[in-house]
Amino acid sequence: MPSSNPLPPKENALFKRILKCYEQKQYKNGLKFAKQILSNSKFTEHGETLAMKGLTLNCLGRKEEAYEYVRRGLRNDLRSHVCWHVYGLLQRSDKKYDEAIKCYRNALKWEKDNIQILRDLSLLQIQMRDLEGYRDTRYQLLMLRPTQRASWIGYAMSFHLLGDYKSALNILETFLDQQQKGNNYDYEHSELLLYQNMLIYESGELKRALIHLEKREDQILDKLTLKEILGELNLQLKQYEKAAKYFEELTRRNPENTSYYNKLIDAKELIKSEDIVQFYLVLADLYPKSNPPKRLPLNYAVGEQFKTLVDNYLRQGLRKGVPPLFVDLRSVYNDKNKIEIIEQFCCKIFPNEVNNGPKEPASALLWVYYYLAQHYDHLNQTEKALMYIDAALEHTPTLIELFVTKGRIYKHAGDPYEACKWLDEAQALDTADRYINSKCAKYMLRANKVKEAEEICAKFTREGVSAMENLNEMQCMWFQTECALAYQRLGKYGEALKKCHEVDRHFSEIIEDQFDFHTYCMRKMTLRSYVGLLRLEDVLRGHPFYFKAARCAIEVYLHLFDEPIKDENIEQELNIENLAPSELKKLRNKQRKARRKAEQESALAAQAQVKRDQYHKAKQQGDVETDTPHLDELVPEKLAKVEDPLEQAIKFLQPLQNLAQNRIETHLMAFEIYFKKEKLLLMLQSLKRAHKLDSNHPKLHSCLVRFHEFLSKNRSSLDPTITEVLEKEMVVLFKNKDAAQLNKDYLDTYCNSLEAVLEGAKMLYYLNSKLQSTALGLVTNLDNKYQDVNIRTCNNVLKSLKKGDFGQCDSEIDQFMLKCQTLFPHAVDFRSPNSMTPCESNHVPPDPENYSSN
Amino acid sequence: MNIRCAKPKDLMNMQHCNLLCLPENYQMKYYFYHGLSWPQLSYVAEDEKGNIVGYVLAKMEEDNEDLKHGHITSLAVKRSYRRLGLAQKLMDQASEAMVECFDAKYVSLHVRKSNRAALNLYKNALKFETVEIEPKYYADGEDAYSMRRDLSEFAKKLKARDAKGNEKIEE
Repeated sequence: MPSSNPLPPKENALFKRILKCYEQKQYKNGLKFAKQILSNSKFTEHGETLAMKGLTLNCLGRKEEAYEYVRRGLRNDLRSHVCWHVYGLLQRSDKKYDEAIKCYRNALKWEKDNIQILRDLSLLQIQMRDLEGYRDTRYQLLMLRPTQRASWIGYAMSFHLLGDYKSALNILETFLDQQQKGNNYDYEHSELLLYQNMLIYESGELKRALIHLEKREDQILDKLTLKEILGELNLQLKQYEKAAKYFEELTRRNPENTSYYNKLIDAKELIKSEDIVQFYLVLADLYPKSNPPKRLPLNYAVGEQFKTLVDNYLRQGLRKGVPPLFVDLRSVYNDKNKIEIIEQFCCKIFPNEVNNGPKEPASALLWVYYYLAQHYDHLNQTEKALMYIDAALEHTPTLIELFVTKGRIYKHAGDPYEACKWLDEAQALDTADRYINSKCAKYMLRANKVKEAEEICAKFTREGVSAMENLNEMQCMWFQTECALAYQRLGKYGEALKKCHEVDRHFSEIIEDQFDFHTYCMRKMTLRSYVGLLRLEDVLRGHPFYFKAARCAIEVYLHLFDEPIKDENIEQELNIENLAPSELKKLRNKQRKARRKAEQESALAAQAQVKRDQYHKAKQQGDVETDTPHLDELVPEKLAKVEDPLEQAIKFLQPLQNLAQNRIETHLMAFEIYFKKEKLLLMLQSLKRAHKLDSNHPKLHSCLVRFHEFLSKNRSSLDPTITEVLEKEMVVLFKNKDAAQLNKDYLDTYCNSLEAVLEGAKMLYYLNSKLQSTALGLVTNLDNKYQDVNIRTCNNVLKSLKKGDFGQCDSEIDQFMLKCQTLFPHAVDFRSPNSMTPCESNHVPPDPENYSSN
Repeated sequence: MNIRCAKPKDLMNMQHCNLLCLPENYQMKYYFYHGLSWPQLSYVAEDEKGNIVGYVLAKMEEDNEDLKHGHITSLAVKRSYRRLGLAQKLMDQASEAMVECFDAKYVSLHVRKSNRAALNLYKNALKFETVEIEPKYYADGEDAYSMRRDLSEFAKKLKARDAKGNEKIEE
């Protein structure tokens, strides 16, 4: 329906020019024409012109004015589809997609067949996964434009995404039947057929899928995918001979693809290890240059045969000097016998040969030392590992890999500072290699040296902006997450949260990235990959990068709930009480310096902000579209002084509950949040989910005990319907035991695991503080009874003791640390602050409160 | 190590590998652009746990129909996985797909003048030839060698391999 206030021809012509200017991004000219209409006293309140003026202003970055004009325009002409469409576009550019959808729907009320609005609506619907709405809109588009290819494809896809394969296939077939039949098959046609095949396959009709593909083999250009699917279908249909034929072809084409070998083994119905080894040996002759047929039999062979094969494999690698030899073989280390055989070869057989004859090159000795260093490091034999890496370094003092390995040995032994030192040296030996640079930065962050890490990274980031900024722009999540963890250890909670939020924003941005591909892929016909993208985006926050950042954020928010940031002055007074006068003076000096530095930095940041603003202004004046909305700046101080930490934690938790429900940590974190919120049913839900995954998990145990205790304390005040639900679940969770009994049984059952006993002992004290000495005895007495005494478990005990989970216990802490020091002489966490070894000049004195090893 | 064609869900891990290894970085959208425009051309090398240890990100230059050619946007192998020949194997797979799906006549790439190791790989192992020097090609002002590898010989070799293979099957 046309506007309720049509313009006379002259003004109408001007209006059309505004639209044209908008399309061609000539925003300034657009504003000129709008002014010409609006300055005519008869049309000062012309709705559509006002709306278009607003939309144009938005493109110039003047968002507030834009909203003002668009809304005013709409008020003046509520029956104009243009005004509604414009309002929708404005909201869309602001990422308010639900609002935008409403606007488009209103626009369509007044102009139901407007193609442009329907297209815009369909894009938002698919982006928001309103699949039913999408299907309906695609239907309308097909009715209006039945000759366009995209109309058919889009409509078919909408059914595919809804899981209605039959309808999707019917539509595709109808479309393909109309197509001109020729012999000139192009890439797009080939992709479309493969998409059609994907539909048939997903509908479960394998036989039909196979026939479909076999009939169209010559029309498909992507021979690799073609053969992969044909092989797979034949395999699933148990037509093994044909399947084998395809996978043999594929192996010939890419003999480095391990899954082809596995499929071949399936197709040949090989089950016995000896047969599989034999199979690989034949292929190793056929493809002498490829790795899998040499490497994979080592997973199956045992005893003498393994010995012969691994002898040969190691020999080749050591002779040639292949640095990844150890990481390549690491997965056979789950077999003790294999480890022994390898050790025998590397420690005795091979070095003897190198020393006693010309058969092996002298350099092989270096590689065998290097291998053994990693071998012993993997087995947690730190001293032997160090001995071999030093031997290697003596042999060749300039090989970067050796420095990296030495650093890694120290990292595993619990000394992130020494580790960092070696990585720094490695980095200095090849400053042009970013991989070494990145590793060095990571080690610096593990040692809580954020500033140094940033400086190292700056060697590879763009000039003109800070490394932090550039790494954020490039979505460098590993760095940001490691930063967050370092800040968390340092107690800089605001900074930690800032980094976590930055990572979260990358995920939002990557979800936004889909937008352009909804139309693009339809045109390019790369529909299989497009479906792959949609499915990826649906579970994007299931990525381990998100989990790591979210876990850090949740931990920090939980901490901030327990200990909100106090007024800075008060906090300082508290710390000062325990300091000697000389220490106090030092502290004051440090604080003064820090303040001055902070002031300088904020001045610099302000300058940079001014520059950025100028840059943006210049960009706008150049009429460049700015369709990214401005996000709130992340200010560490504000983030740390969060008012609703638990609500914020839940925001990070929710994606994990949907996408990382297989990780027990998700539900344990959920429990902690809801425990603090005293949300009973949500606590129960988290416990049930965790229980399903691993009913004996140590952390789950302490959650159960606390839940039990919480219930008995609050039983009287509970709603009867809730009590009824609880009674049923408690039989499963608590097995009708009271908290003390539950805990006792757990401690008895898992008495040889320190990790489990730590949780049990914590609960012992939690339920009855009189049992403090029993509880402390359980976790600090490490004599032989536990099978899992290592740096990590002992560190967890220490952290728990320091946190006060066992009440006051200063002398026990000291004694425990002494014990651990003997067990793990390199681990810094167990050294008392006074016994720290003197640090290198470029090292920040380690503060034992502030780090933990990983 | 396993070498296979990259899927959409590999793209984020390729970006991670790129950020660790190379000075030239791209936002995710650019990886999506490659993966969704030419899904056959990019390859990854992964370890047993599925971590990406190397990748090649490739595209087609399609403006000129007569001389359609592929282009290597980015190639990286983690330093800790060098000397396994992964780079060459990744490149060969990508080049084969360029010929097969898009009828590419040659494949091009840029390399930093100072990057001797890469230059050596391209020249000696992969038979690339330097076409020209592009001054100040990189953001930091370094020059690039613009290199090319003619794919017609490679295409012939592939045909011969497949013909031989088919005979064997029919025997």
